[in-house]
Amino acid sequence: MKTRMSKIIAVHSYKGGTGKTLLSVNLAATLAKQGKKVCLFDLDFRAPSLFAILKMENVQSWLNDYLNGACDINKVLVDLSSTISGNGKFFVGLANPATEAIRDMSAKDRKWEMRALGRLLSLRNALLNDGKFDYIIFDTSPGLQYSSINAIVTADLVVVATTSDRSDVDGTRRMLRELYNLFEKKTGLVINKVLDAASKSKRDEMDSKVKSIYQVPLLGLVPCFCDILRAEGNLIFVRDKPDHPFTKLLDEMVKKIEANDIN
Amino acid sequence: MNNEEAFGKKPLHVLEKIRESLERLNEKMEVMIEIQKHGRKDIMHPLTDAPVDVMTLLSMPDHLRKTAMTLCRCGRATAEEISVQTSRARAVESAYLNQLVIMGHLKKERKGRKAYFYADRETQG
Repeated sequence: MKTRMSKIIAVHSYKGGTGKTLLSVNLAATLAKQGKKVCLFDLDFRAPSLFAILKMENVQSWLNDYLNGACDINKVLVDLSSTISGNGKFFVGLANPATEAIRDMSAKDRKWEMRALGRLLSLRNALLNDGKFDYIIFDTSPGLQYSSINAIVTADLVVVATTSDRSDVDGTRRMLRELYNLFEKKTGLVINKVLDAASKSKRDEMDSKVKSIYQVPLLGLVPCFCDILRAEGNLIFVRDKPDHPFTKLLDEMVKKIEANDIN
Repeated sequence: MNNEEAFGKKPLHVLEKIRESLERLNEKMEVMIEIQKHGRKDIMHPLTDAPVDVMTLLSMPDHLRKTAMTLCRCGRATAEEISVQTSRARAVESAYLNQLVIMGHLKKERKGRKAYFYADRETQG
């Protein structure tokens, strides 16, 4: 049985450095390239990175301001549609990278977090219903951070970025059992930095491993691409390298998400 | 209003009061039945101010988490409205919602015959 369409997607992981931001940006850009109206939010308030990756300047209002109740969500959105080819719309909402803002967000209490959850939940109405957005994507902090769990509760689908690292496998398995399952969330797994991913035997091996260890659908296996490391965060691959295998992988992931095949 | 009208409405008013009392009694009984089913541990330590943040949701028993999460998404709802989304019986949702009120996680407000439940995000903190 197919469940509700995945309109709000949280990209999460157990550990840092698994490629969440790379995945979030390219997922959002792929959807926008395909003509969708997409909004990407940086919910990694402890280590904001979209500001630098998207080379932003003169941001008027931050996502921090919206969650603090200091402004409307429309003040936070920055239209980057002109940077993406096609008829889609690409908006971003950024986390404030200033040290003082990071410190401020780290000191929030649970009542503030509860109100922040209410504000995130209200985005469904404000953006999907009123703003006619097709997708909202949350790039989150790794692990059990309040802001990440708020994003997970708000989302329809959690895309979990993981690697073959032993501690990552163990932590991801625990989060599946003790976090995503408890909130009854649809979950899809992306295994990043896979060695020898081009070989069919390796892909088959990973596929059966995912089934036995995680028991959730595999959204994609991302090989360890030297090109991505060489780009040093300066490229949005799906936009700047349309023929790159990573771009093709993202197209495949989007197909699975759009087909609502993940339950 | 003449005497005849006033006289005619009085029994109605009394009946309305009796029905409201019976409904409240029924709600209390539903909560007691559910507590019996799931054990008393859910409400051993009722709190006067316990916001439904995500960490609290994580620590809740499964049956209450489902109700609390659905209400978080709705913002404000009756037991009937929650039951439509959870596909559980209205009486069950009513009992769970009242349990969450006793635990201090939710607030309840009556408007006429309907009881509305909500997480009090604005006044807490």
